[in-house]
Amino acid sequence: METVIHVTGAGVVSAVGCGQGETLDALRRGRSGIAPVRYLRTEEKAFPVGEVKLSDAEMAARCGAPQDLSRTSLMGILALEEALAQAGLKDLAGVPLVGGTTVGGMDLTERIFPAYSPLHDCGASTDAIAAHFGGAPWATTLSTACSSAANAVIFGANLIRSGQAEIVAVGGSESLSDFHLHGFGSLMILDTAPCRPFDATRAGLNLGEGAAFLILESEASRKRRGAASLAVLSGFGNACDAFHQTASSENGEGAFLAMQKALKMAGLRPEDIDYVNAHGTGTPNNDASESAALRRVFGEQMPPVSSTKAFTGHTTSASGSIEAVFCLLALQEGFIPANLNCIMPYRGGDASCPAPTLKHILCNAFGFGGNDSSLLFSR
Amino acid sequence: MMRKVYVHARCELMPGDPEPDYRSLFSVMEARRMGRLLKRAVWTSAEALKAAGIVVPEAVVIGTDFGCIENSESFLKALKGLEDAPLRPTHFMQSTHNTIASLIAIRLGCHGYNATYSHRGRSFESALQDAATQIALGDIDNALVGWFDEMTPNLSESLLSQGIEPKEHALAVVLSANPEGALDILSF
Repeated sequence: METVIHVTGAGVVSAVGCGQGETLDALRRGRSGIAPVRYLRTEEKAFPVGEVKLSDAEMAARCGAPQDLSRTSLMGILALEEALAQAGLKDLAGVPLVGGTTVGGMDLTERIFPAYSPLHDCGASTDAIAAHFGGAPWATTLSTACSSAANAVIFGANLIRSGQAEIVAVGGSESLSDFHLHGFGSLMILDTAPCRPFDATRAGLNLGEGAAFLILESEASRKRRGAASLAVLSGFGNACDAFHQTASSENGEGAFLAMQKALKMAGLRPEDIDYVNAHGTGTPNNDASESAALRRVFGEQMPPVSSTKAFTGHTTSASGSIEAVFCLLALQEGFIPANLNCIMPYRGGDASCPAPTLKHILCNAFGFGGNDSSLLFSR
Repeated sequence: MMRKVYVHARCELMPGDPEPDYRSLFSVMEARRMGRLLKRAVWTSAEALKAAGIVVPEAVVIGTDFGCIENSESFLKALKGLEDAPLRPTHFMQSTHNTIASLIAIRLGCHGYNATYSHRGRSFESALQDAATQIALGDIDNALVGWFDEMTPNLSESLLSQGIEPKEHALAVVLSANPEGALDILSF
């Protein structure tokens, strides 16, 4: 890419912790956050979930936000607060906000339906996050199911490449809801046991929740502000599988094209990639399709591949930015997050190991409808 | 350095317009599975692409202010026991905002860039900005951009109470880097 795009701040909230410190500790120790339902208001207790271990009231108290916000907004505020602080920003003045969500305020609406919460929709969810930080010059929201946050990163990067912005806050947030727990249940893709991405016995995903935001910044802006660069977004790709509304194609066409575009944009060859943080949901279909795509990109030279979904559950719309933060931590700290629960590797995914020379990491996020995106971070 | 972006075709169905003859596009079975919003989206997209002389666009970017509300409500009604109906996976699948862009891409066999924006009154503007930015950067040469919304009594009531006018949308435009035969130039 001709324009250098720095990541100068990151913030993350997921089942394994609040903030980069707790997250790093859990990833290093192999501590999963998947457990029986504790916070979600639901009668459906058969499926383990990756909940953020804070009630709405506890989240609101932590960040000083009103308690009646959606959980999606509360988690987004916690994550963005950390990202802004790391980037040395005190608010969103001059910083457009590009969010990603699908659930939005469904957690509020499902309690009162057939009435709607005024905070129901995706835009209201992002606007509430912006309002907490004094408002952004403008905000928008990507909603491409489970790749929403990854696509928010891509749009933000294009704003910088085209000179429409020098600095942007990008990411996504998604809370668990009874609606989408039952939705995924109706598709028969939830596992009643902890998920096992890339394992031969994998039988479905566990839903999770969380949020993560990144501050993307041009070289000129970073220098002027004296902000440190955590990593560079050296490439990205978005492609459509165009196969089925919820299933992935056998040959992983969309995933293949997304990874290939990211490599091409970065001017890198497949052998330059040191680690792939896979989408790896743990469903038989996703992992088979993604494996086919990985084989098409990397052939015999497969780099270490792992899915972190067994730590967090599938954080759906937020997964793209949450796992991007995991990749930033891996790059900075020199380790590869483990592929937990993979006892019988279906394709050799297990890769818990120190890797002090990590330079280039691909991070995949795929969504229903074949919305496949891949981000490439470099040190 | 940035390229200019041109509008090449525009097809819109207004809320009161009669439903077009969908028989050229869908079989009876397909039409039955699809709600009015999806049918309008596929039809306006097909018409706009035809007018622009493009078979498969390089990107599909959709804006939807509030998403696929009818299917969300059907699933919620079953979930809350407001209707004596089972939870239907089709309602869940077609409740996600990106189901429109996904369906268009599947029907066109379009493997290019695909995205959906849902941010109230800014949704279509964002979709246009995204597509136009990529054309201006030279990443793509053309894009199908749409704006699709449906309304239900419950959502309309909620929006009115917030001072927002409930509006349905069915609009498809084709953007291109090619100035020849353009209807307009896009400033963004």
